[in-house]
Formats: sequence, structure tokens, C-alpha cells
Amino acid sequence: MISFYYNDDEGITTLSFKGRMDTLAVAKVTELIQAEPGLQNPEKENNLVFDLKDVDYVASSFIRICLTHAKKEGAGRFSIINCQPFVKKTFKISGLDEILNIS
Amino acid sequence: MTDDLNTTANEILDRAQLAAAEFHQFNQEQTDLIVKAVFEAGFNNRVKLAKMAQEETGMGVWEHKVIKNVLGTQLVYESIKNEKTVGVISQDPLTGITEIAQPLGPILAVIPVTNPTSTAMFKILICLKSRNPIIISSHRGAAKSCAEAVRICYEAALSAGAPEDCIQMISSGSREFTQIMMASPKVALILATGGTGLVKAAYSSGNPAIGVGPGNVPVFIDESADIPFAVSSIISSKTFDNGTICASEQAIVMEEAIAAKVREEFERQGCYFLSQEEITKVEKFAIVPETSSMSPAVVGQSVSVIAEKSGIKVPEGTKILIARLDGIGKAYPLSVEVLAPILAFYIAKDYNSAVNYCIDLNYLGGIGHSAGIYANDERRIMEYSQLLNAGRILVNTPTSQGAVGYFFNNLPPSLTLGCGTGGKNITTENISAKNLINIQRVSRRRNNELWFGFDQSAYYNESLTADQITETYYKNH
Repeated sequence: MISFYYNDDEGITTLSFKGRMDTLAVAKVTELIQAEPGLQNPEKENNLVFDLKDVDYVASSFIRICLTHAKKEGAGRFSIINCQPFVKKTFKISGLDEILNIS
Repeated sequence: MTDDLNTTANEILDRAQLAAAEFHQFNQEQTDLIVKAVFEAGFNNRVKLAKMAQEETGMGVWEHKVIKNVLGTQLVYESIKNEKTVGVISQDPLTGITEIAQPLGPILAVIPVTNPTSTAMFKILICLKSRNPIIISSHRGAAKSCAEAVRICYEAALSAGAPEDCIQMISSGSREFTQIMMASPKVALILATGGTGLVKAAYSSGNPAIGVGPGNVPVFIDESADIPFAVSSIISSKTFDNGTICASEQAIVMEEAIAAKVREEFERQGCYFLSQEEITKVEKFAIVPETSSMSPAVVGQSVSVIAEKSGIKVPEGTKILIARLDGIGKAYPLSVEVLAPILAFYIAKDYNSAVNYCIDLNYLGGIGHSAGIYANDERRIMEYSQLLNAGRILVNTPTSQGAVGYFFNNLPPSLTLGCGTGGKNITTENISAKNLINIQRVSRRRNNELWFGFDQSAYYNESLTADQITETYYKNH
């Protein structure tokens, strides 16, 4: 559902999601993110990357999580990568694709 | 000054309203005679008008403008000549519904500089076919050729018995005047074809509008495509009238695996890949940095003119300038729509990335317009089509000539291409006469058996669920 990768040398923390990010899954990954020790250190200034290579559906609650992280991390320090086209289109329709820095 | 403009606008619209009053009494036969006469007159002047338009605007290729004039007259006429647009247009005894076509009233038609004669004649034909007077507002840069097309059509219409003032033209051409006209309650509909500002003004006027704005057409070449065929098709489209059709290809996207082959084919067929330094020079000429949009100076120009104005040298006879880009948006000026023989070229690492490029291009100023795909894999064609926000997805087809219909497919021939709500349009259709009538539906009594056969007291019983009521509702049907 979610895996965490830390590349402190390059200053990048990657959260890799897997499967359908529907409302139930989002509730679960939210818990996992909140409980993840590597994300609790406020001193760490890694850029945050959401890798959606294996995600084929995103609920609006998932887009909200992305927005929350984008705001928390600040401009240019949060990005979403490897979207499947269907998910990419979903972000486009949400009108938030520019804020979220999606590739 | 504004008072004078208001007075002039009112005079024009009063005349148009009188024409509308007379026109609505015409029957189908009288209407069709007028449409036929106007088609013939416009068609007979197709070469003269094409040359005039090219000379006056300095844009495009006159031979191609002849074909546009043929589309705007002969092909449009063929597509509407047998259509019922007057009185009862359909009757269904089973449903008891009779449809009656009514004209809308005066239509204000804004004509772009890129197609001044063809679009004018096209809009005149579809307006007359629907018994609507038309007021043409031409672009200042194409006023003479547009006026000549209007004169030819009007004289033909009058000679076939059309009401006086059924075709008028705004001679002022000022933006303020056009806006005054647009806002008048005497206008029934605005048919606006042009830039973003114009289309927005039409929609802000308070009158109904069918406005068609810019495109930014991505074309995906799939690994299953016939590459030499695809490249030849793209070249024939992007060079057509020097790329002035808003459905012309803007960017070519493909996977890395076939990129070298595609590039080689473009080069073999006479296109030139710009170096990074040359891209910067072309950007300076072709794009206005403040707005990140194409410069009017580049529209409809040939490769040789673009090269000269940009200060670069390209082989003689080059058909298209191609810029290899790595991104989309303001940082990549040539990723926006450019109505000239300049193409952006994107190489994606895989299929998903390629389609994502197309989605980004699509959303960069071209939502709802058109997109293209070259593929021989039906699954990919359908997947791509559902992912793009485009009114027309042209498959293995040159997008310029494909989107306007008739030549390469069965889309209705049209020079006004609906872009759906993404382009702030009410329709994604190719606009034609049928979009310019109000359809009244005379509905005869036909008791609905389901409704009258159901004991409606059940609705007042709160304990009955939707499933229970539905089961009873459809019982024995």
C-alpha cells in the first residue's frame, strides 16, 4: 500500500503508493504516514516525493493529502512523479496539478 | 464617440431584425434556393477570394485558401442542402412528438484573420439555411477580402429573393464597436471564431454565444504506427495554409524506442530540426514573452520567412521547423499553439509518459479542441481518446484537414469547431446549420402506461423502499 524510501544524501524522501487510493486506503495510508518514524523529524529538510507508478485510482481524499503535504513542505519541495495517464488526468480535472508539481 | 457607435449598432441591428421578421416567413424551398445561389456565387469566386485574402493578410498559401473556400461553400452546401431547417422537421406518431424549426434571429458572426473568406462564406451559408440574418464582423487585417466575400454572397442572396439586409457587415472593425454589438439584446446569438480575448468577450456579453478559441493540438505517434505514413500525413497538415487552421498539429510525441526513426523520417521528408540556439532565436520571433502566446507576426508565415525573421539559416525547401523540447509551459515557449509551420517534438521514456505529455499539452490552452493519434492498436487508440479532453480525436489523419470534416472522415464540414465546456462552449460538435435553429417540440398526449398502471398511493406509504416500489412499478412489463 505504501513504502518509504529515504535518500538523505540527495535530500529526497519518497513515498511509493500501490493500488487503488480510495477512501478506505487513504485512511490507512494516512495512519501509516503519521506513524512513520522517518517522517517525524522536523529538522530533516528532505524534499518529499509521492511516487504513483503503481496507483490506478485516486479518491478526492488522496488529492487532499497531496495538497496538505504540498502546503506543509512549501513551494518546490513537494512533487508527484510517475503518474499513470488516468491519474494524471484526474489531477488535471481537480485543477490542482500546477500547485502539486506533477510529472 | 460611444454614442455614435451605439447609434450605428442600433441601426444595423434594427435592419437585421426587419430582415429576421421577413425571413421567418420563408418556406424550405425559398430558403434552399437562396442557399444554393449563395453557394454557387461564393464557389465561383473561390480563387479570386483566396488570392485576395492571402495578399491582404500576408498569411498562408492562396492555393490552400482555395481549398478552404471550397470547404466553406461546396462541401458545406452538400452537407446541409437536404437538411430540413424550416417548419416541421420531424414527426413521430408513436411518441407523439413533432419537431418544428424556428430561426433564432440576427446572428453576429466574428471572422478570424486566418480564414477571412472561407469562414465568412461558411457562416453565411449556415445562417441563411436556418433563416437567420447575419452580421459579419471581420478582422481589421482582412476587412477587404472579407467584405468582398460578403458582397458576393449578399448580391447572390438578394437575386434569389432573400430579404434585404439578411447579410450585413460591420465596417468599423473597432473592438469597442464589436463589443457594443455583442452586448445588444437585439442579437440572438454570437458565432465567435478567434482568439481567447474575443471568445471571452462573446461569452461575457450576456447573449448566447458559440465561441471557438485556440487549440494546442498534441499528436501521439504510437509504436504501432506506420511511421513514414504518419510523418507524411503530419507534414501535409502542418504545412496546409502554413498552419493557420487552429486544429493543426502543435506537438509530436512518441516513445524513446521509435524516436530516432521518427526523427529520421521527418528529416528525410524535408523537415529541419532546430539546434538549441536556433530554438531560442525562433522563440524570440514567434512568441510574445509577456503573454507566452504566439506573435501575430508568425501566423501563417512560410518557413523561409520565419527563418529569415528569426535570423537562422535552414536548407531551401524546408517544410517544417521542429524544436525538440523537454518540457511544457512558460519555460518552453514553443510548447504553446503556433499557427505556423513550427512543431514541438517530445521524446518520452515510455507510453505512459508520452500520454502524460499529450495531456499536459492538451491542457496548455487547448482544452476541448482537437488531438491526434497515429496507431494501429485499437486498444491504445481508445485509451488515448478517453484520456484527452478534445472534441475531436483524429486517428491516422492530418488534424488540420481532419478536424474540419469531410476530406478524411465523416465529421460535418465546418470552420467553427466546438470545444465543449473545456473551451467554454456548449457543444463539442462541428458547428453547422442545425446548431442555429430553435427546435420546438409539440408533444401530443400519450398516457404513460407505467405511471397510470401503478397505484400511486404507494408513494405515500413511508415504509415502502425504492426496491419494493420499483418492483411493483415494472411488474408485468
